[in-house]
Amino acid sequence: MKKRFLATFVSAVMLATVLAGCGAATQAPAQETAAKEETAETTEVADTQTEEAVPASEDASGDVTIWYYWETAGHQEALDHIIQEFNGQQDKIKVQAKYVPFADFKKQLSVGASAGELPDIVILDNPDHASYAAMGIFADITDRFDVSNYYPGPVNSCTLDGKLYGVPFGSNDLVLFYNEDMLAEAGCEVPKTWDELLDVATKTTKGNVYGFAHCALQNEEGTFNFLPWVWSTGQTSYEINSEGGIKALEFEKSLVDAGAFPKEAINWTQGDTMNQFISGNLAMMINGTWQIPTMRQEVPDLKWNVAPIPQDKQQASGLGGENYAVIAGGNEEAAIAFLQYATSKDTCLYMMDHMGYISSDSTIAKDQFKGDAVYQVFVDEMQYANARGPLPEWPDISDAISLAFNKVITGDSDPASAAAEAQATIDSIIGK
Amino acid sequence: MKRIKDFFRYDNIGLLFILPAFIYMMIFVGYPIISNIILSIQDVSVRNLVKGQKNFIGLANYIEIFHDAVFRKAMGNTLIFTLACLLFQFLIGFLLALFFNKNFTFSKTVRGMTMIPWMMPMTVTALMFKFMFSTDVGIVNYILRSAGFIKENIEWLTTPGTAMISVVAANVWIGIPFNTILISTGLTTIPQELYESASVDGANGWQKLTKITLPLLRPTIESVLVLGFIYTFKVYDLVYVMTEGGPVNSTHLLSTYSYKLSFDMFQYSKGSSVANVLFLILLLVGMLYLRITMQGEED
Repeated sequence: MKKRFLATFVSAVMLATVLAGCGAATQAPAQETAAKEETAETTEVADTQTEEAVPASEDASGDVTIWYYWETAGHQEALDHIIQEFNGQQDKIKVQAKYVPFADFKKQLSVGASAGELPDIVILDNPDHASYAAMGIFADITDRFDVSNYYPGPVNSCTLDGKLYGVPFGSNDLVLFYNEDMLAEAGCEVPKTWDELLDVATKTTKGNVYGFAHCALQNEEGTFNFLPWVWSTGQTSYEINSEGGIKALEFEKSLVDAGAFPKEAINWTQGDTMNQFISGNLAMMINGTWQIPTMRQEVPDLKWNVAPIPQDKQQASGLGGENYAVIAGGNEEAAIAFLQYATSKDTCLYMMDHMGYISSDSTIAKDQFKGDAVYQVFVDEMQYANARGPLPEWPDISDAISLAFNKVITGDSDPASAAAEAQATIDSIIGK
Repeated sequence: MKRIKDFFRYDNIGLLFILPAFIYMMIFVGYPIISNIILSIQDVSVRNLVKGQKNFIGLANYIEIFHDAVFRKAMGNTLIFTLACLLFQFLIGFLLALFFNKNFTFSKTVRGMTMIPWMMPMTVTALMFKFMFSTDVGIVNYILRSAGFIKENIEWLTTPGTAMISVVAANVWIGIPFNTILISTGLTTIPQELYESASVDGANGWQKLTKITLPLLRPTIESVLVLGFIYTFKVYDLVYVMTEGGPVNSTHLLSTYSYKLSFDMFQYSKGSSVANVLFLILLLVGMLYLRITMQGEED
């Protein structure tokens, strides 16, 4: 009995020591962190005091983070260049940019939105703008930024319910690229109409060379490249089961049936399509402004040129490009201050020229690419370029359209039934 | 005092040992699963992800996806994909295991080298197969044409039926080493004496395989098949890189379709419902696996 008591006593004492030891150990760091927090608080207070000491007109300050998805080294360097310049000019706002791969970009934004962890500015693909604006993560900058000189198409893509939720960064559009040697060899002129395109594409198809292709992925990228056909008939993106919509799908089918359009284009990104073209596997393609710097660098000897997209009833092209958006509840004032700088004439020109983009600001675009005949075709095509959406549910519409032309290209359905099916989906979305 | 002491006897002290693991699992496994289930019975889309009312709508999302043709297609595809992959990778893996069990020169080295597909990053494998199955410049068509099997190039990745064959082929290639190694390990546990005495009794090779190898390998085979099912059923990256679910949704799996709904089309609740269906099926298979292994231990 005594022994047992002793054992319990000893163990109790030991336990107490251990616990006390623990307590002491945990207490010490706790005090330290508390002390650190205090110093942190005081420095923060000091910071806000210095901020307050600055004249009220210059109240924008602090850190600004930007998310973007450009993977081309030239694009990244251009952005980095203007950020460094901005950070060097003043010492109140510090801007930094973070690259998020395009494939992850939408996911990161959605996850960040629900977790409340977003940057202060995002540079995003313009057809997605309305969706995120509808989510409420973008700040309404209607009276805080002047877009009166901008092209209506790009501005429209940043607008939802009459409010401005972003600033067009820069635009691009689509044109027809053609291999001059291949067309000359086949004795063909540059096609201007659909019939001529089919004819030239058929004649230039031989061996490993296909006459014509555009990116036909079953996603936004494919839709972007397909829609000019629909618009050219005078129909809108929401009218696929119409005379024009079916005609556009039938035209696509006739190209495939003639063997002039590779079915594999349904797995080609726009970059893949460009690579096929510069490798000499394609005589013609539809592609965008941003490929030009790469093409000039990679294949300086290839003889190629550009022309407006062949048309049915009217000239049409797709409007692409990115928009800046300011995140609501972020460092809005500082973000807008950076945007004012980034869209000022010299900075904007620097970015656009290095990236092969056309400024969305018409007063700047007018002076761009003077004497460059290739870019001039793109600038001229801008006035015929249509925006996709803007509609928060645009991704669903886009999916229905891309499914329709994929069905036609693979021969899974005929144009009429593919159009009818796409229309049913579109109507159910718009009717909501 | 006695109570405290009793508490720390063998039975209960075990509970304390698993506590850290339990807490870890609750935070990193339990929480996401529960939050995903909640998401799937709400109506969360682009309009109300950040602000606005998130209404509970019960099983409406599930009812909706079961009426969705693409979901039903993805469900069927996932089953076909899994069963086809399991069948081929198991058969080939099993034959390779028997072959490498023969202890010829370099058999161990070569067996080690067959692990390479398993170690290769999935994206690399997917891109490689995408090139190999390319219609005009792919090596698969080149070989078939040179050998005289086909006259016209097969459009592997751009025709709905053949696209599925292509992704299955790629996944079988990845899965073979996994089967080979596990079955090889199983084979080493079978005592050589059994084969020797069978030979003395005049058994031929086929009889040795069916009467000794297969029955004794049963637990291994069951584990390989169930684990293979779980790995294959949730494949995502391979298909995403090779076809993105196309052409015309013909290779969409539950995993790729769930991703597309959530992050391309912003239908978060529908996307999570699809993910939960996937989860539920795997949970059932996982429980089956646990039962098999527990039975094995009791035997």
